[in-house]
Amino acid sequence: MRIGRIATFLCALAMLVGSAGIVTRVHAQSAEADLKSAIAGAPSTSTLANGDPGGSITGTVNDVPAADAKKGVTVGDIANQVGQNKIGINFTWTLITGFLVMFMQAGFAMVEAGLCRVKNANHTYMMNFFVYGCGLFAYWIIGFAIQMGGAAGNGNLGGLQPLNGEHMLNLFGTNWGIFGQTGMFLTGHTYDVGVMVIFLFQMVFMDTALTIVTGACAERWKFLTFSVSSVIMGAITYPLFANWAWGGGWLSQLGTVAGLGKGYCDFAGSGVVHAVGGLSALAVAMIVGPRIGKFNRDGSANVIIGHDISAVLIGCFILAFGWFGFNPGSTLGASAAGCLRIGSVAVNTMLAGCTGTFGAILYMWSLKGKPDASMAGNGLLAGLVAITAPSGFVNPTGSAIIGFVAGVLVCLSVAFVESTLKVDDPVGAISVHGTCGLWGVLSVGLFADGTSNYGGSWNGVTGSVTGLFYGDASQLVAQLIGITTLVGFVFSLSFVINWVLEIFLGHRVSIEAEVGGLDLPEMGQLGYPEFIFRPEPDVLVTAAQVAVA
Amino acid sequence: MAATTSQGKTFSLFMVAITVAAAGLAYLSTGGGKAALVVGLIGVAASLAGFLKIKPLDDPTVLKLAGVACALGGWLIVLFGIHLSSSVSGRLTTTLIGLAVSLTGVVGLLPAAARKNAIWKA
Repeated sequence: MRIGRIATFLCALAMLVGSAGIVTRVHAQSAEADLKSAIAGAPSTSTLANGDPGGSITGTVNDVPAADAKKGVTVGDIANQVGQNKIGINFTWTLITGFLVMFMQAGFAMVEAGLCRVKNANHTYMMNFFVYGCGLFAYWIIGFAIQMGGAAGNGNLGGLQPLNGEHMLNLFGTNWGIFGQTGMFLTGHTYDVGVMVIFLFQMVFMDTALTIVTGACAERWKFLTFSVSSVIMGAITYPLFANWAWGGGWLSQLGTVAGLGKGYCDFAGSGVVHAVGGLSALAVAMIVGPRIGKFNRDGSANVIIGHDISAVLIGCFILAFGWFGFNPGSTLGASAAGCLRIGSVAVNTMLAGCTGTFGAILYMWSLKGKPDASMAGNGLLAGLVAITAPSGFVNPTGSAIIGFVAGVLVCLSVAFVESTLKVDDPVGAISVHGTCGLWGVLSVGLFADGTSNYGGSWNGVTGSVTGLFYGDASQLVAQLIGITTLVGFVFSLSFVINWVLEIFLGHRVSIEAEVGGLDLPEMGQLGYPEFIFRPEPDVLVTAAQVAVA
Repeated sequence: MAATTSQGKTFSLFMVAITVAAAGLAYLSTGGGKAALVVGLIGVAASLAGFLKIKPLDDPTVLKLAGVACALGGWLIVLFGIHLSSSVSGRLTTTLIGLAVSLTGVVGLLPAAARKNAIWKA
């Protein structure tokens, strides 16, 4: 009886397996028949020679390369082409958004130079120009390796498998990622198509952080010290924190190792780019000291007006345009793994910039009487900076709130930095990028709505990034740990590095050079040689005379 | 001090030296890599000496050291806090304490140190 049952079961199993095989074979035959039909139906060269104004016959199975010319195009060839198309779409998206971010350098140059006096225009433009070269070079020789040397595993860009060397440190029985080790000079196995794409994209982000510092220290920073400081920041300071957040380092592991949400989450870099730049700017601005005439002997501040508000506002628009590369580009692709959220990311970016502008204008108009143009520009940038970290995780309502808060916050912060800290920041970079960058990092822990789905997980933790307002308090803790790392470690590292440079090089130009303008003594050429300069206000002239005496 | 040729030369030496040092690090497993690292570091040291020659030493600062120590100390409190407690509220508490300590250094002690010799007080 039992033997009979077993025999019946085995027969049934054999039939099932057999029928499955038949089904598979039938499917395969059907696919091959479809393929043959598509090849037969493809337009001939003579048809194509007539032109294709409607675009309906260009791009057919004939455009798929066959691995074996004798066999012709197979299903395998088409599958490979689909894979190449996915990676090709993602490469193209990432590169083009990277190009947009690169163009932001022009916006930064215009904003910073416009907010400075005409006598320093050439010097300020040149700092923004040369910081690109300093940062790029430093990043190529070592910075990229420190940041991304252990960041293998990104499926959107083909895996990036050559970047497989993260240095781990065992603390309290846990392995924490500290810095990457592969990719110096982009040689060896890192001479790879995917690695080149991620290098370009990450490099332009790094350069954005570097150029923030030039604004806060404009009009009195020695060009030599600026150059050395920028090289070191591009080689060490920025890449180290970027590794911790984006390169598989310990902050990104807070979710998997310590159970804190999805680990430190910073979608496009409110913390990695802007807070690092803003806090470094604070450190250097403290060391370099305020401009002559900025503060009176009683500590009260004077307003030093920039020379070109039109350049400032056009520069802000260029930056806002570039931000569409910054945030949506940070999906690192437009195909697969939740990348279709790029539209949402772009809209969040627009909205936060808009409400940031409103926040600053309404604050200044209500309390100071005028919708101050430079603060309006800073409000736009503040909103954009703040939405950079949460742009991939929040909904439009959340992004509007985040942007508006940033717009008000930047006004308060500018006043605090100037009146309380007595730090001179000609362009408001510390407040726009430092303060609002930290607010952006914090807002992920508050407003992330748990609907994003980038391949089902983030930082190796299954599920979507969810903030306190949507039920996950542990994400807020992870974000606060990131903030403390920025304030405690990144600021201190920048301060110590630039303090050493102060000892060896000195950050500040001579009093004579500062009073006369940096264009001639530092650059050897005036920014506007045919202009007749109007004398500066009495208070600045007096301060200059006292300083020279 | 305005930009000078000696600044340009020393900066050139600095750039070449860090490039050689970085190349040495990249190929550290080879004999040439080790040699390049040593040569590069010597070059960096030489460029720093060159910088120092251009600009002599000045400036004191215990307060600056205290500020940096405070900022770093707050961060270390947060790092240890992750291991000290496994609850979210416990970690939140240690993180906020650490952040407060760091902020004391960054917006309290260091600006005070910077104000001590501020140019506008002269």
